Parts: sequence; structure tokens; C-alpha cells
Amino acid sequence: MSQQHDLEPEQQDLEPEQQGLRPGQQHAAEAEETYLEVWGDTVSSKHLLWSILMGVGFATTVFLTAQWFFGTIGVDESMVGSYSLLVGLAACVAVAVVCARLFKPKRSLVETDAGSDSRESAMDAIEAEVGPIGDPDEFPAAVLEEVKMLGLYDDFKQRHERKQNEPAADASSAAPSSATKEGDK
Amino acid sequence: MEALFPMIGWAVGMALIGAIAFGMLGLVSGTDETATIAPITLLVILLGVPPSGVFAFFMAAVTAKHITHAVPTTLLGIPGDTMAAPLLRDAQLLRELGVPHIALRKAISGGVISALIAVPLAVLFAWILTPFADAIGAVAGWIFLGAAFLIAVLSKSRWAAVFALLPFVLMVLGLNALTTSLLDRTLTVSFFLGIATGPLIFDLFLAASPLGRKSLQRQGKREFELAGDKRTWTGRMPSPLKVLDRRQAGMTAGAASISSATFVFSPVAMTVLMGEVFGSRIKGAYQRLTTQMSVKNGTTESTYIAETLIPLIAIGLPLSPMAASVAQPLFNAPPVYTINAETGETNNLHNLLEPWQFLVFGLFAVLLALLITYPFAMTQAHRAAKWIMQKVSHEAIVGAFAGLLMVICLYEGGLVALFVTLTVGLVGGMLNKLFAVHTGVQFMGYYVAVLSVPSILALVG
Repeated sequence: MSQQHDLEPEQQDLEPEQQGLRPGQQHAAEAEETYLEVWGDTVSSKHLLWSILMGVGFATTVFLTAQWFFGTIGVDESMVGSYSLLVGLAACVAVAVVCARLFKPKRSLVETDAGSDSRESAMDAIEAEVGPIGDPDEFPAAVLEEVKMLGLYDDFKQRHERKQNEPAADASSAAPSSATKEGDK
Repeated sequence: MEALFPMIGWAVGMALIGAIAFGMLGLVSGTDETATIAPITLLVILLGVPPSGVFAFFMAAVTAKHITHAVPTTLLGIPGDTMAAPLLRDAQLLRELGVPHIALRKAISGGVISALIAVPLAVLFAWILTPFADAIGAVAGWIFLGAAFLIAVLSKSRWAAVFALLPFVLMVLGLNALTTSLLDRTLTVSFFLGIATGPLIFDLFLAASPLGRKSLQRQGKREFELAGDKRTWTGRMPSPLKVLDRRQAGMTAGAASISSATFVFSPVAMTVLMGEVFGSRIKGAYQRLTTQMSVKNGTTESTYIAETLIPLIAIGLPLSPMAASVAQPLFNAPPVYTINAETGETNNLHNLLEPWQFLVFGLFAVLLALLITYPFAMTQAHRAAKWIMQKVSHEAIVGAFAGLLMVICLYEGGLVALFVTLTVGLVGGMLNKLFAVHTGVQFMGYYVAVLSVPSILALVG
């Protein structure tokens, strides 16, 4: 059901180059196993450091050079800052492109067609956090049609019938849990 | 009237640029609105684009981003930007159920309806408010104080957030005093950058410390599940009103109307609130989740549009959380647009455009952005998300952001501005990550320091 697009092979291509940057670091391969989670995604600490150094170094240099350049060629003084800013932003985009080429993503992307086992646990989570799904046959016509088209009807119906046969379990999960509600950020 | 044609030309061209640039940026997860739209709008203003072009650019950018931000949020389960965070849990649940494409389509259809409703309503509310503009301006400090308190109390940390405002406000006051003594002026963009990128700055500090690094370490790569693509229609692409059932469309429109009027509240808070208010009226978890997707994403559009338009048309001062952050350059971008701090005199879009121009150019820019992004998100979302996940590493994004921070800080106030951003970012990031005092509370804290504290001091002293 699922197809794994692991990005490992592409990353391996980078290995010699990396070791070229820091010769003598024998435990590089070991370090590959552990990542850092920064700003919501996993990164390799070495690649992150290089990206930041490139971003800060290149963008700053370009911005300051542009500021100096526009100042000397006699651009209207009020516009020097904004032109330099534009050039600086372009430098940031360039850094992003270069870093994206140098450092491959440290994610593994799995394409799913959501099998029935994950749907079962998803319905558990939904009933615990949001509330009972209910009997699909009692849904308004438009919703019923939508649910049928999505292939959710049978699963909803099954669950509803099972719930009705074990009323105790139904009562316990009927109350939406407020503890897990999405926070009021 | 002879200047009408160039005016329209600028509006069309700039709206097109804004819609395409920010429609694409919306696909990149974690691109905060304040960190991206505000500096680039500032740039457009400083480059000398005429008012109609600036306004159309901004409206198209905001609208487009809040359509495409639903793509990473629903298909990958990571928020596209700050405003997408309230949609995340609902989107994740629908994704696990195997119907992320429905979450996406409900969300963007809600966005389309709300955006189109919000523009005329905001102009109407602004027109109603205009007679009271002076009175509102006079008590602005107290309004911000009340709003900050309310938003803090309503946040996850409740009273802790209220008390956390105190040190935060003091920090802003201290930094303002410092920059005044060093640069003879106060900074704004640097504060906003610090607040907006706080969580990133905090993580980078952690990664730099041997002790903190341990808390960030993960074994193996993070796994993302990209949901398969399913087209749920045959023939022509359905209109937003076909994707939503009648009740959902009605509730989305209702939420758009309410959230257009309440322009002093944090957009994130309003999004959560509207989702709760309308979602809780619905029986059946599936209906509730899909309705919340539509209502919440609709509210991300309506709050952004109304909170920009109402203060801009009626008052001319950045008197809403949105106007104070993302839309700030439309009010105050010296030397082009200015606000005189002592007299309160303004020379910005408020003075340079007529109310009917706000309505016409606003509607036009929103419509253009929707016409570009809605069909794109309906048909290409899966492919675009996959491309970004496979080609754009997180390191590249963080590196570019680090560069962006440098460039914008150096632009606003050299090294002093950089230190301000780092300070605010570290403190704000800690408040955010450790105490759940979100950026909305922090933005309000900034305005309490800048606008409310002088009022309080005037009263006391």
C-alpha cells in the first residue's frame, strides 16, 4: 500500500565531499544516524552549520557590498537601503538554491493510500478528541453522498453498529476529551 | 482622472506578482507571514511603487498565501505558516482517516468564500467606524492593553501568559531605550522578526549548546507521509460552493462576517475561536472536522483582510494585531509612508487612496489571487508538495532564513538591530516553547510597550 522514497542514496553521494571538508573525521558515518530536530524538521548538524554560515556570510557580504556600491555610484540616498535590501533578498534565495542542491533533505517521504488499519486508529482518535462519528445513514443528504464517494461509508457504518452493540464503550468515548483539544494559540 | 490608467496598470501588475510569489511561498511550510510578507511589502514601498500597486500587491499576497498554505498543512501535516497552526490537528485527523484531499478542498473553498465576503464587509465596517476614528485614536493605548490581556488570558497558558507580558513589555521598553540612545530612533521590524522567528532562534541556541543539543537529538530521519492524490470530481473543476455543503458555506460566511468586525483581536485567536464556536454546533465528528477546516481557513482570510482594511481606511493607525505586524509597512514605512508619533498625523495609504479605491482594488487583487491559486491548489497540490519535500532540504530553508534575518536587521539598524532581534527571538522563543505564550500575545505585548505604557505613564505622572 505504501511506497517508500528514501532519500538515503542521494545523500550518500555527498559523503566524499563532506569528508573533503573535514578530513580525518572517521566517525562521520556514525553521526549520520543522529539528527537534530530544529524548527519542526530533522537536519544534520553539520549541514545545518554550513547552511547557516553560507546564509549569514553570503547574504551579509552581498548586502554590505551592494550598500557600498549603490552609495558610491551616486544612487539617491533614500533608495540605497531598498536597492541593497532587494539584492540581499536575492542573495538569500541564491543561498537557499545552493544549499538545497548541496544538502539533500533528511526526511523520508512515504506515499500512502491510507490502509484500513490506519483508518481504524484514526477513527479512534477522532472519537476521543472530537466526538462520536454517528450513524452515517442519519447524515444530511449532501454529507452522506460525500462520505459514500470517499469510501468512508462502510467504515463509519461498521463502527456505528459495533458501538451500538457495546453501549458501555460508547458512553465512555462519547464525551469529547477537552484535554487534547487543539490549543487556543 | 487622467491618472486612472497607470493606476490600474500598477494594481494589475503588482497583484499578479504578489499572488504568484506568495502563492508559491505558501507551499513552503513554516514561512511565517510577518517574516515574509512584511519585509517584501516594505521593499515594494521603498522601491517607489505607487499606492494602488502597493495595496494590490499586499492584498493579493495575503490572499494567495492563505490558500496555498493549506497544501502542506493538509497533505504533509506540518503547518504552512503561523495562521495554519490552528488547522493542523483537524487536518491531521482527516489525513489519518485517508481523506486529506477533502481537508484541503474544504479549507481552500472556505478561504475563497471568506475572502470575497471580507473585502466589502471590511469597507462597510470601516465606513461605520470613520466618525469615531479620532476617539479610537485617542484611547488606542488602552484598547491595546485590554486586547493584550484578553488574548493572553485566552491562550493556553492562561494567567501565566498575562504575567509573562510584564517581563516581555519591560524587555521591549529596555531595548527601545537602548536603541534610542544608540541610534536616536526606535526599531520596529527587528522586534517583529525576533518575535516571528523566535522558535527558530531558540532552537538554534539550543543546538549550539552541548547541553541543549541533547534535547534536540533524534534517531533517524523524520518520516513524512504524503497522502495519495484523489480527484473527487469528474468534468469541470467544482466551484467552492459545490465543495462545501450549504451549511458549511453558511457557517463559513457567518464566521467571515463576525471575524471581519472584530478587528482588534489576534487572527490566530479568532481562527481558533470561530472553529470552536461553529464546530461545536455540529453533530457528527466527520462533519465537524470538515466544517472546521472550512470555517478556520476562511477566518485566516477574513481576519487578515479586515484587520488590514478597517484600520487603514477608517483610522490610518495600525490599530489591529494584523496592521501592527504583517501590514505594518502600509501604515509606516519611512520615508515613503509616515506616522508622526507626536501629532498622530499620517501620510500613508489611508491618505493616498479613497475608500472606493480600497474597495475596487482590494476586490480585484483578492479575486485575481483566488483565480490563480484556487485551481492550482485543487489540481496540483500533490505534485507541488512532493517536489518540495524531495528537493528542498530544511537546512536550505534555515540557511536562507538566517541570511534574511541578517539582511533585514542590517537594513533596519545595523548590528544594534541584529542584537535586538536575537534578544527578542531568544526570550520570545523560550516563552513560546516552554510556556506556550504564543506570538500573538507577544505582538500585543510589543504594542502595550509602545502605545499603552505612554498612556499609563501620562495618567500616573
